[in-house]
Amino acid sequence: MVETLIFQGLIGLSLAMYIWLVAAGLTLVFGVLGVLNFAHGSLYMLGAYLTETCTALLGGNFWLGLLLATIIVAVLGVGLECFFFRPMYRLPLAYQLLMTFAFVLIFDDLVKMVWGPVYRVPPTPKGLEGSLSILGRAFPVYNVFIIGLGPLVALLLWLILEKTSWGKMIRASASSREMASAIGINIKMLFTTVFAFGAWLAALGGGLSIPIRAVSPGMGTFIIIEAFVVVVIGGLGSLKGAFIGAVLIGLLEAYGTLFLPVFEMFFIFFLMAVVLIVQPGGLFGTQVSHEEA
Amino acid sequence: MKRREGSILNIILILLLLVGLALLPQVASRFSIYLTIQILLLSLLAMGFNLLFGYTGLLSFGHAAFYAIGAYAAGLILKEATPSLLLAVLVGTAVAALFSLVIGFFCVRHTKIYFSMLTLAFGMMVYSLIWKWRDVTGGDDGLIGIPRGTLSIPGLLQVNLHSMESYYYFVLIVCLLSTLFLHRLVHSSFGLILQGIRENAERVAFTGISVQHYRLLAFIISGAFAGLAGTLLPPLENTLAPAVAHWTKSAEPVLVSLLGGAQTFAGPIIGSILFLVIKESIVRHTEYWLIWFGAILLVLVLGFRGGIVGFLYENVLTRLRR
Amino acid sequence: MKRMNRRDFLKRSLGTLAGVALGTGLDLPEAFAQRRPVKQGPIKIGGQAILSGPLGGYGNFMKMGAQLAVEEINTKGGIAGSQTEIEFRDEELKPDVAVKNARYFVDNWGADFLIGCDASSVGLAVGQVMPELNKVLIITHAATEKINEDLVYKKGIKQVFRISVPVYQDGIAAAIIAKDFPVKRWAAISPDYEYGYTTWKMFRETLKKFRPDVEFIAEAWAKFGTVDFGPHIGAVMPKEPEGIFTTEWGGEAITLIKQAKLFGVFDKAKAWMNPMGAAMDVLEGLGAEYPLGLWISCRYWFLYPDTRENRAFVQRFQKRWNRYPHYVSETGYSAVYAIKTAVEKAGTLETSEVIKALEGLSLDTPAGKRVFRREDHQAIYEVPWGQTAEDKKYPFRILRPLKVIPANDYYRQPPFA
Repeated sequence: MVETLIFQGLIGLSLAMYIWLVAAGLTLVFGVLGVLNFAHGSLYMLGAYLTETCTALLGGNFWLGLLLATIIVAVLGVGLECFFFRPMYRLPLAYQLLMTFAFVLIFDDLVKMVWGPVYRVPPTPKGLEGSLSILGRAFPVYNVFIIGLGPLVALLLWLILEKTSWGKMIRASASSREMASAIGINIKMLFTTVFAFGAWLAALGGGLSIPIRAVSPGMGTFIIIEAFVVVVIGGLGSLKGAFIGAVLIGLLEAYGTLFLPVFEMFFIFFLMAVVLIVQPGGLFGTQVSHEEA
Repeated sequence: MKRREGSILNIILILLLLVGLALLPQVASRFSIYLTIQILLLSLLAMGFNLLFGYTGLLSFGHAAFYAIGAYAAGLILKEATPSLLLAVLVGTAVAALFSLVIGFFCVRHTKIYFSMLTLAFGMMVYSLIWKWRDVTGGDDGLIGIPRGTLSIPGLLQVNLHSMESYYYFVLIVCLLSTLFLHRLVHSSFGLILQGIRENAERVAFTGISVQHYRLLAFIISGAFAGLAGTLLPPLENTLAPAVAHWTKSAEPVLVSLLGGAQTFAGPIIGSILFLVIKESIVRHTEYWLIWFGAILLVLVLGFRGGIVGFLYENVLTRLRR
Repeated sequence: MKRMNRRDFLKRSLGTLAGVALGTGLDLPEAFAQRRPVKQGPIKIGGQAILSGPLGGYGNFMKMGAQLAVEEINTKGGIAGSQTEIEFRDEELKPDVAVKNARYFVDNWGADFLIGCDASSVGLAVGQVMPELNKVLIITHAATEKINEDLVYKKGIKQVFRISVPVYQDGIAAAIIAKDFPVKRWAAISPDYEYGYTTWKMFRETLKKFRPDVEFIAEAWAKFGTVDFGPHIGAVMPKEPEGIFTTEWGGEAITLIKQAKLFGVFDKAKAWMNPMGAAMDVLEGLGAEYPLGLWISCRYWFLYPDTRENRAFVQRFQKRWNRYPHYVSETGYSAVYAIKTAVEKAGTLETSEVIKALEGLSLDTPAGKRVFRREDHQAIYEVPWGQTAEDKKYPFRILRPLKVIPANDYYRQPPFA
């Protein structure tokens, strides 16, 4: 039983790291730009499709394919931010949501037009095939890799935010846009780069998912709601919160499935509601009093 | 002087619309009547939603829950208990209002995105429950074979609603009465206080008014009208499935209110017409309807930021008056 | 009546002849095509299927099949002398959208027939309004037993027919296959909705009858749109099942297999059964990654039956669409031919007459002989189960050996208790 519990915990962790990769970009973009990007899932999907295509173009090298694909999506992010998101910042939240929703629809059909409606057979990266034995059970090597990569990405983000001047600008702008502007930060440039970085993270999550998940149009809708929940639970705009939130949800899903065969999304939304009621700003969000919230 | 001209124009437009709606079954095909009923239902849902969004400043992302609760309550009554349409509509609306009270109690203490996220969470909880409570709701196969019922008040009235035309008139009357009620409501002192809360909650609180009580009341009325719209659905479709509670359904009133103009009373109605007519026209011509619909949405969002109704008022009507 | 020119006449007669020769169910006098057409203007078929989102492929494949049938029929003179037109709409897997589509087709577009429906809820919802619309609906995919047992048999909605297999194939036939396995401990990893529950229940009940010694030790239900089956695999495997039954389909079947492989499930469990595993999208989506020796089936598999008709159909389909037919392609194709045969037999488009013509109709289709059972309008035909095997001729797994159970041995019979 103990082995099962530990093993299930590992499964939950790998699940969590997948969610984290998607949630990281989502919460970063919200923290700085104040936009809840529904189309983040579409960027994830584009990352997956492009990784498959680029890998094939580059002679089967998954890592080069992934790198190229994520860069393409980041460049696309620059375009999206400049032409579509920029005019929306002053408008209420609902307009932004609606616009990102429109992009979800557009990208889903675009992908179908370009790649067709069939499931793709993506490559498995060399060296990460098969499984190793943990507690006498087979555990995918690829999941071990993901469990390791998640915290690495978190560390990278922390280093960027704490140690680089770009990071300092991001933090300054996240806490007060007016202040940041006043001390001479080029807000436009900052927003574009942050959005592109968020898009890059989404594409990374999508690209890394293809060895173990089916690639299909609309695949972004399957993961975006979970990422939303994680970001809200962790606190909108908080990277630390998104990480902890992802671990919470990952473990909840793993253990929930173990103990309740009919485990449902209900519990995840229940957890989200409880957190919001008790702590409106989320676990690690900026503290908001009830009247403000 | 100009205001009066505007209101005369309004009255003429409304009268024309009413005559058109009343005569519709004489000229339109059964499908057009059906589509009009769907527009009416979405308008009612969106008007209820917009009491909270446009007038109180609270963006709910879970209104499909109340719509679905009304629909399932009415559907169950019609299917399992009695084929009395009036009873189904009344009880369904009441049940939706009750749920609005409970859910609203938790939600109205929040505003902005936190309110939206909390309503989303509650909405999806309702969706999960409908999906999972298979003995009652039929799970994802849904409730099948719901009769349309008869409109009967013992000793007074007995109307057979079997045909699409007669059901259309029933829905139309319910929607007109609701519209009238909501119109009076938003122009009453209650409505003004709600708008005051939207603009500046602190100032309203300063006058000794309990902001939260008003928000909760608005939430309940809003949820009740969403529920009322829901009760009219199962007699139309004869079936009911969990998709009516999904967040994508919750997105519809948001979308149509913004399209039409959330700050105007007629916005949600115009938005509903646009939404369903545009979608219907697209799917007739292409299988790739998502991309077209998304592109049109994008243009509308970027181009008409105050909604179509607001745009018309500002640009067309002012020019007409000159 | 408009005079037919010689070319048309020739085309039609030749077409009819060709139809007879190909055995597409046409056993009518050759002169039929010259008679007055049953309708002025084209006969219209309204099709709907899921065309958008992750499962959008299903709608596309179904469309390909139906369209091929319409093109073939039209080049051979149409249905009873009338040209045929088909149009498709996206059902979005939403019952209300599907009902709207059906109403549009019949009331606005002027459809004479409806075909399609992927989701069970969609089939049930559209079936429910067919008496009001009073046209014949031929369901090509939705598999719930409630369609034939409840709607048609118990409620007497005569306008609804189904040309594809019901869940009996997925649950009952699977159990009849599984009874010969040296497996005592079964577990399920299946979709968390009616389809998943019903098939697992049918599987358990049937298997228990044949094999009182089997146990059903674990189940894990995965929500619609699951991308990580790790938790489900982790929950089921510690109970040490010897056989795993799943009815995951489409992309989720692909995801489940990929992940189960990495978790070593196929090294531990002796048997794996998936009644949707032989669907073309799953076979192609997994390619050589599909483990060998798994028991899979679907609703038509392109290499069965090994008849001239089927081989010719696969060839024509490949020529037209440059791919192998999916099972929904075949059901869509055959649905159109069922309409043709019934209309020509009835000699009219009158719904009640067409229903009479379809009831008990025996039809030669690529999937073999189909008979529409009178009582519940369910097509009876055989679909094989088989084990995944390698074949150099194909870039994906094929089924070998095959195991075919006569449909009448496992289809539930009316009156459905």
